[in-house]
Amino acid sequence: MTALQVAVVGVLGLIGIGVYGLLITRNLIKVVVALQILGKGALLALVAAGAVSGKINLGQSLAVVVIVVDTVVAVVALAMALQVKRRLGTLDVKELSTLKK
Amino acid sequence: MIQALILLTIGLPWLGGLAVWVTTNQHPRAQHTFAVLFAVAAGLAALLMLPYASATPAIVIPLGAQSVFGDLTFTPDGMSVFLAIIATVVGSLAVVFSVNYMHGDKQLGRYYELVLLFIGAMAGLALTGSLLFLFVFWEITAFCSFALIAFNNDDPKAVAGGIKALIITSLGGVGLLMGALIIYANTGSYQIADFLAKAGTLPKDILALIAFGFLIAAAAKSAQFPFQTWLPDAMEAPTPVSALIHAATMVNAGVYLLARFYPAFKDVPGWTTAVICVGLLSALLAGFMAIVANDLKRALAYSTVSQLGFMVYAIGVGGVYASQFHLLSHAIFKALLFLGAGAVIHAVGTRDMRLMGGLGKKMPFVRTTFVIGALALAGIPILNGFWSKELILEAGADKGPLWAYLLMLLCVGMTAVYTFRMVYLVFFGEPRSQLHAHDAQTAMKVSLGLLAFGSLTTWLLAGPLYELLTSTLPFHKFTELTTVEMVQEVITSPATYLVLVIIAIGALGWWMRDRLAGITQHLQGLGRAGINSFGFEAINRGVVRVTQDSAEALRVTQTGLLSWNVAGIAVGLIVVLVILAWGK
Repeated sequence: MTALQVAVVGVLGLIGIGVYGLLITRNLIKVVVALQILGKGALLALVAAGAVSGKINLGQSLAVVVIVVDTVVAVVALAMALQVKRRLGTLDVKELSTLKK
Repeated sequence: MIQALILLTIGLPWLGGLAVWVTTNQHPRAQHTFAVLFAVAAGLAALLMLPYASATPAIVIPLGAQSVFGDLTFTPDGMSVFLAIIATVVGSLAVVFSVNYMHGDKQLGRYYELVLLFIGAMAGLALTGSLLFLFVFWEITAFCSFALIAFNNDDPKAVAGGIKALIITSLGGVGLLMGALIIYANTGSYQIADFLAKAGTLPKDILALIAFGFLIAAAAKSAQFPFQTWLPDAMEAPTPVSALIHAATMVNAGVYLLARFYPAFKDVPGWTTAVICVGLLSALLAGFMAIVANDLKRALAYSTVSQLGFMVYAIGVGGVYASQFHLLSHAIFKALLFLGAGAVIHAVGTRDMRLMGGLGKKMPFVRTTFVIGALALAGIPILNGFWSKELILEAGADKGPLWAYLLMLLCVGMTAVYTFRMVYLVFFGEPRSQLHAHDAQTAMKVSLGLLAFGSLTTWLLAGPLYELLTSTLPFHKFTELTTVEMVQEVITSPATYLVLVIIAIGALGWWMRDRLAGITQHLQGLGRAGINSFGFEAINRGVVRVTQDSAEALRVTQTGLLSWNVAGIAVGLIVVLVILAWGK
């Protein structure tokens, strides 16, 4: 297996796990975790794409930006989940949904 | 210079809308001022475009070399400039009228924003040279008309009328989009000029598909048979909006579309016959419904459908110039009639003509201007409606089938009947109820006076309009005439006198209605069918109901649940990948 194949398998695996997590979970904390896994898949894809296209610096600098943004997203999302739990007493997405009749 | 003028014509109304929004409803005076200033400035910019009219695109904005959207172009040729002028000038007069009519309304901001967005979008629709952006502007006007018809959104009838207009005109928009995409797939360009140049080389069946797609779009937009019923229901809108929809914007778009693409479609078998039939049936049915309508605005709405039928018929028989000239006359006298009706409704507070009568003494200014507009509508000589209607009928007699010509003559007679009925019921005779009326206020008088002046004089523009159209439309064939030549041609043609006799018979029929009572008794069944729109109301209502029911059914998919949404994204991705793999 070449390095590129490893990267592709890694990207597909991470994104697959993330999407699967989003599909099955109803717990807000787990949603954040699944989003993080999904994000790491995208990050790996950026680095791999940079290596393939020869613009390795661009790929890696984008990856650094994604790491920072990802962290911020995780922190804010967890803080919001905490507030939801405190104020509404539940973390179940289905119960939180107000669009449903 | 011309680039700036095009951008100003489209952009000024939109900027005006923005200015009105920023001003907020706390400052109604400033809102009135901004709306009038920006609308009038746009009208002036449109008028200044006249000397620069040409067939070459003035603005080309490339949207990327590999883009599937083509280039965004604006071509200020004769027909485009002409329509943009009608939209902005007549539109600005409706805005001026609104200063009095909408005085004291709590949601002035929403009103002016939508009106100005509407006017700008219509100017864009006229000026763009790209089919795709023609569609975009087309849909913006559809949205604005919906929002304005439903302006009084606590009135269920207004909301229903708005939704009906939206659904039916969007249905027509599908025909336009389909045609535009087929053209892109076959010629690789969205440019109207490219298509008109290459139309002859396209396969016959594909051209027919485009031609009939565009006909559906135009019929839905211009409220032609069988889609004519949305326009009367649009009467729930504030009256200046009705004037805007009927005279300045919206319904002209359908006629413009047919006239613009006439050179490409005229050889498609059956297309011109279909166009003649659509125009003829609309003129006939709507003319009849106008005779039996009791609501002043509804009667005017049916007369719009009927006059648009005349224009569509003119295009069907090859009189593209006559249709454009009638579009100009109609825009002016119909705006005048609607604004006059608005002044009456504003004064007396009802739209039922049976309750009016004898209002002429109380509102002499409105009566005078309304009668001028009505005479133009009926086609009485030297008013603008006379000349343009004569040109249409002459084209019909020369190039069209005889049966269609004879039925059009019947429509001319019906026009005279419903016009005289309307004028008589509202302004003359004895008052039939205690209504307090006052004459129009200043801003209303300005609009009405200018439009009445226009109804008396715009036929003098026949020669310049000929010149404008012949010099800038390479694909249309016009025989150029000056105003004097046109007058000579109309006066010396025997058909003119035939038409005048028919108009006189129509008018006489109304004056002698008591003696003809025996005949009208027998026609009562027809009258009842007329009030029910001959059953086409049911078809249109069916279309609206199916759309609404399917929307209601699809609401189940809007769960707001994250898991389902992610599943939807995943499925969509898979579908796109499968299509891409399949296409390879």
